Amino acid sequence: MNFYECNLHALPDGSDSASRLALAAKRLGYSGIIITNHSTTGRPFGFEAARRVEGIEVVIGSEIVAKNPRTLHAKAASLREGSDFLAVHGGDEKINRAACEDPNVDLLAHPHDGRSGIGVAAAKAARDNQVAICLDLGPMIRLRGAARVRWMEAVRRDLDLIGKFDLNLMISTGARSHLDLRSPRDLVALAELLGLERRRAVEALALPKSILDLNRRSWASVGVELV
Amino acid sequence: MRSWLPVLRDRRRYIAFELEAEGRVSRGELVGEIRAAQSSLFGDLGAAKNRFRMISFDGRFGLIRCSHKRTEECRALLATVGSVAGTRAAIRVRGISGSIKAATEKYIPQSTLQPDENKRRVDLGPVSGSVARVIGREIDLCPDDRKMTEGSGTRYVGLTSFDLCGEDIDADGTSDGL
Repeated sequence: MNFYECNLHALPDGSDSASRLALAAKRLGYSGIIITNHSTTGRPFGFEAARRVEGIEVVIGSEIVAKNPRTLHAKAASLREGSDFLAVHGGDEKINRAACEDPNVDLLAHPHDGRSGIGVAAAKAARDNQVAICLDLGPMIRLRGAARVRWMEAVRRDLDLIGKFDLNLMISTGARSHLDLRSPRDLVALAELLGLERRRAVEALALPKSILDLNRRSWASVGVELV
Repeated sequence: MRSWLPVLRDRRRYIAFELEAEGRVSRGELVGEIRAAQSSLFGDLGAAKNRFRMISFDGRFGLIRCSHKRTEECRALLATVGSVAGTRAAIRVRGISGSIKAATEKYIPQSTLQPDENKRRVDLGPVSGSVARVIGREIDLCPDDRKMTEGSGTRYVGLTSFDLCGEDIDADGTSDGL
């Protein structure tokens, strides 16, 4: 299976250069990584060097940080051209909803950061616009005690929603350093503890590859491809 | 070992892991951290089912024993360790096996030096590897081919600077006063 880590942050967002993340991910058994630095901080440090790492594909995507839905839609429209992968910095309830309603967006990253989760309306919109939801396992590793319990409650509720509406799901750690990365098998084991089926978890790790392949074909307009 | 009915004997799995950390971590600190993560993740009830024991830990590689039905849970447990005694760290599971012997032989490198580590290289036809250490004229070599030291129970191949005569061990400019 082609496992991809879909939501990484390199310098200056995180503390590792893109090539260091690539090497660490390769050792853990990934076949590719997508580095999605925040749209407010610019391109990751050393992304040219990362392309020279053999045996792993390094994709430079982007994670949109927006204060309100209007700027989110504007940024998504302007960044869509020329970027293989577009994520949205989720967590806020309004932003989560707006991201799910925008067909330009590929991934809603860490929607559970602000305890809000996605909710029914956003889940329906995500299904219609084929926006994938990211199960960010970073909090499960970082947090302990009551904070993690709250996070798990929110995730459990949303996993039910994701199953009900059959949404696209990706699994990531949202790593900012090589020490945050976990191997695909570790992520599957963690997701299983949260009540996700093993088969679904494996599919979720392989999904970024198929999304990337779709995005790289040249679409003239919706549903029309230049051959 | 305490005798026990063979049919009731608990079955075990051994998890070989590698610790990736920013500093030195002692065995006690690591065990404490994993135990804390365990009771946080599973509670006392689930933690008891894991039957977690630290078998060995040498600062980098280690071996953990757990119940044979709870390997996936233990894998998740090790994944939730993000720091040990204030030092950022991560535990990488290298493999799981049914006996200490198999787990050690398959997943824990017997040499502390990895062949691909960027040390000074020696290539002498049948013998090739990286220099582990140099004491006077005596040289310990970590062989690329692990089978070379089989039977003798040693990690390194013993050479002298005379063996390297003609071949320049310090060709890269790093002389050790050989």
